[in-house]
Amino acid sequence: MDHDDLVLRTPGPLYRVFGVVVSIWVTVVLTLGILGPVSNLPILEHTARNLYFHVPMWFVLYAFSLVGAWHSWRFLRTRRRLHDVRAEQAWLVAMAFGLIAMVTGVIWARFTWYQGTNLWWSPEPRQNLVAVQLLIGGAYFVLRGSVDEPRQRGRLAAVYALFATALLPFLTYVLPRQMGGLHPGTEGNPAFSQMDIADEMRWVFYAASVGFLLLGWWVYTIRVRAKAADLRLQRALASE
Amino acid sequence: MQADTTIAVLDSAAVQVAQTTQPLERVMLADDKLPVVLAVVLVVWIGIVILMWRTERRLARVERELDRLDA
Repeated sequence: MDHDDLVLRTPGPLYRVFGVVVSIWVTVVLTLGILGPVSNLPILEHTARNLYFHVPMWFVLYAFSLVGAWHSWRFLRTRRRLHDVRAEQAWLVAMAFGLIAMVTGVIWARFTWYQGTNLWWSPEPRQNLVAVQLLIGGAYFVLRGSVDEPRQRGRLAAVYALFATALLPFLTYVLPRQMGGLHPGTEGNPAFSQMDIADEMRWVFYAASVGFLLLGWWVYTIRVRAKAADLRLQRALASE
Repeated sequence: MQADTTIAVLDSAAVQVAQTTQPLERVMLADDKLPVVLAVVLVVWIGIVILMWRTERRLARVERELDRLDA
């Protein structure tokens, strides 16, 4: 193991610019999302705005599961600890946003789908299978916590993350579409979804999706740097 | 009914006057008071952004210290 295996490239001015862009981008998205035009359909009413906040959370889960899988794969190939650090932090961001997505979905559903029924949860296929996916994802951290030897921990966690990511499209996309359900896009061809979203809301939704993905990346990079710094400090203390 | 300044909000006439004369209220009370929601959300968000920036700056300082330690 070479000495520099935990040393990240020093963030340049571009990283600062990135932080400014994310801050402003999400601020604009929040403003347009809350004040912008809304389809105002019965049942949905103003909650249609949740589209801008609830759905991008899922995109962050998907994206960072893939980032985690990529670095898990790279760790298995190269055994560089930095890949293990990146995989773990990507997985953490994915699960954090996934949990936010589920909680926001539950709140949204309670006052639209289940309005007047007192229900907070129902056997809606996507809702349930996503909960299963989050439990599988959460077990990643249990697995990591149960192995003391870092290399073995990284190896086991990487293999597990690859399997868990392989399940993601089936549990959150293929099966819910097979089973139907209340989420939009469960029938027909979602690639032609002009019916699913009002034109005046489409661009805010796209901007929100990009904005929250960028926010996820910002959080991810800071977490990776903090974890790498932590490991470097532990190494420096151990070698004294 | 005599208008009482301490409960002006209960006096519909006073509210009417406020809505038409105060520029701030003209903005904030529009669209079912949605701008108030925006104001609250933006305060939360800006707080989070400041926290992110400060965390990042502190982290950069720790990284520089570690570079010095490793060198």
